[in-house]
Amino acid sequence: MTTSHCLSRRTFLRATAAAGGAALLSSCARGPGGAVDLAYWNFFTGSDGQLMVGLVDRYRAEAPDVRVTDTTLMWGTPYYTKLAMACAGGRAPDLATLHASRLATFGTQLLDEWDLDELAARGVSMDEFPEPVRERVTIDGRVMALPLDTHPLVLYYNTDVCEKAGLLATDGSLAPITSPEQMLDAGRRLAEVTGSIGIAFGAADNLASWMLFWSLFRQLGGEMRLPDGGPAEVDRDAMVQAMAFMQAACDGTIASPTLEGDAAPAAFASGQAGFLLIGPWEVTTARTAEIPFSMTQFPALFGDTPYVRADSHSFVLPRQANLDPVVRGKAYDMAVSMLRNSLDWAAGGGHIPALSAVAESPEYHAQQPISNYRGAAEVVEFDPEAYFSGSGSTLMSRAGQSLQSVNSGAFTPAQGADDLIGWLNNQLTLGSPL
Amino acid sequence: MTATNTAPTTATAPPTGAPRPAARRGPTLVGGRGGFWFVLPFLVVYAAFVLWPLLYGFGLSFFDTSLVREESRFVGLDNYALLLSDPEVWRTLWVTILFTIGSTIPLVLVALVMALLVQTGVGGQWFWRFAYFAPFLLPVATVALIWEWLFSGDFGLFNGILAAVGLPPVGWLTDQSIGLWSVVILTVWWTVGFNFLLYLAALQAIPAQLYEAAELDGAGGWRRLFSITLPLLNRTTGLVVVLQVLASLKLFDQAYILYDASGGPGGSATPILQYVYETGFTDYRLGYASAISYVFFVLIILIALVQARLSRRSEP
Repeated sequence: MTTSHCLSRRTFLRATAAAGGAALLSSCARGPGGAVDLAYWNFFTGSDGQLMVGLVDRYRAEAPDVRVTDTTLMWGTPYYTKLAMACAGGRAPDLATLHASRLATFGTQLLDEWDLDELAARGVSMDEFPEPVRERVTIDGRVMALPLDTHPLVLYYNTDVCEKAGLLATDGSLAPITSPEQMLDAGRRLAEVTGSIGIAFGAADNLASWMLFWSLFRQLGGEMRLPDGGPAEVDRDAMVQAMAFMQAACDGTIASPTLEGDAAPAAFASGQAGFLLIGPWEVTTARTAEIPFSMTQFPALFGDTPYVRADSHSFVLPRQANLDPVVRGKAYDMAVSMLRNSLDWAAGGGHIPALSAVAESPEYHAQQPISNYRGAAEVVEFDPEAYFSGSGSTLMSRAGQSLQSVNSGAFTPAQGADDLIGWLNNQLTLGSPL
Repeated sequence: MTATNTAPTTATAPPTGAPRPAARRGPTLVGGRGGFWFVLPFLVVYAAFVLWPLLYGFGLSFFDTSLVREESRFVGLDNYALLLSDPEVWRTLWVTILFTIGSTIPLVLVALVMALLVQTGVGGQWFWRFAYFAPFLLPVATVALIWEWLFSGDFGLFNGILAAVGLPPVGWLTDQSIGLWSVVILTVWWTVGFNFLLYLAALQAIPAQLYEAAELDGAGGWRRLFSITLPLLNRTTGLVVVLQVLASLKLFDQAYILYDASGGPGGSATPILQYVYETGFTDYRLGYASAISYVFFVLIILIALVQARLSRRSEP
């Protein structure tokens, strides 16, 4: 009895080992026929995630011989860390999404450049992208990323509330706002109508605070250069002035000094605010809420040019330890396919398509209200260049701390500027990982 | 048949001192070479995922290793010298210590009070046990999301209640002097159930005859609490404090999620582990991050040793 028990356990162990080995082998097996496996990573969740699945599915339909595995990871640090590690390990995906503002870190060693001839063979030339975006994705004359869109800070407005506040022009669109005083005044009038606040702005949110700050700072002519070893070269006056405007706006009436990132769109969608300041992706929230609203380019409050903080979702080719030219070719195909089909991406997610063939098409222009701010693509301002800068970076999170303290009144604008500059100097002395 | 006879004896009575006469089927599991093979799977995993990373990370702290660069240089003690003059290290370390002190005290006291209340014979003990322990079972992301909305400045339940009774709103997530305490409140709600269970088990282990004897001697409820219950809970309190201090020092996930990685208002809720994470994984500076984490590691070991010494001394 004992013997048979013993035997059956050994048999069981052997069987398990065999089964495990078989599973391991089968996972290495290649698909039938000439099918090519293509791995694509992105960070789109929510409504953008659905739209991205749509783009991937359209490429799947166009290229039935390619088996696309699309992997969605959490936006921000989790995504960028995993991508960097995969690239460093030489087993990165064949195609990946990247914010153009994060290219400084990835572009030098982890990515391959886009071959202009290969792109031309697929009918895409770099002239077809807006100039500021093209400049940003080109490093030392090499095109390191292929832009899918630009997503600037935009101004959402509730047309009902704005009408009651007397802020609409005769054609029903928002009357021009051309100075900081006018913006604050508009906020006060909107607050009177809503009985709550005028402008929904994520004063307690890094991304929202940084987007507004960087737009104002650049409109004021502010420059920020971050050389390795420091110190940071920053226009302190412009910084103080931009922060002073934000503090003036966050007075509890014009805008709340404590509104969090998720709460700002919620306040706008529930009619508790007349304006919303955030990226175009919240168009889905406003549409779902079925409120009467429209969108427009963020205006020039300082200076003449409505510079606006933006970033660009773009495609990159992670460096491979063993490059398969066939797979690489399919990666080009897929990226170009997604660029060509980016009308759905724009229409659903509010992003401005990067490819001019789409951005200048009548179909895109007919999209309301999202084509209203398409002009922003020509005046976009990317984040300063440094390894710790860009969307979801340490700079955004740390600058967010200074800005939130200014918004809440804990810091004066001058203290806020000194706090941020002090941190920048310290960060620069730590040396670059590049 | 002989095999079945020897198996139970070896399993229940491990050899003490003198070698036992070998069984007919070979060496015993505990004393013989067979035991090694049974422990091997654990050892392999332990070595691969604990010992090796521990050594590798320590080695890393002497290099300027980066996640985005292939080659790395030996820099000796540079990383350690750098962290001494990096104000962010000391600031986040202080945040961590403040949190540890601020959370350990309520987490021990509240757990004790809850356990005493449940033990003193409220009806439906199973319900209270379940209700107090339930939050501990929730994943951290769920907890942080629930509290993010409770704490929300303009929409939150807490400020809603304050407004209803005519009090000014509190910047739970936006006020620099309150940000860290919001994390403490969340953590107490989330994890107090574990300490509560430890206390409850200890209370149930106190023999009933002690209370009977005290009652016969005319001791009242408070007298029994302070002269019998609390002294007999001493060992449990020691254990709970050690576990809680170590758990609180490891503050990271709830603060990270609650503040969307921003570190709280003015950075007031950035624990040192978040700084290590940001340095290593957001800024790709693995070597420097390793150095910071090893300094923190040494600190934790020191605290654990001091605690062990203290608790040994307090025991009779």
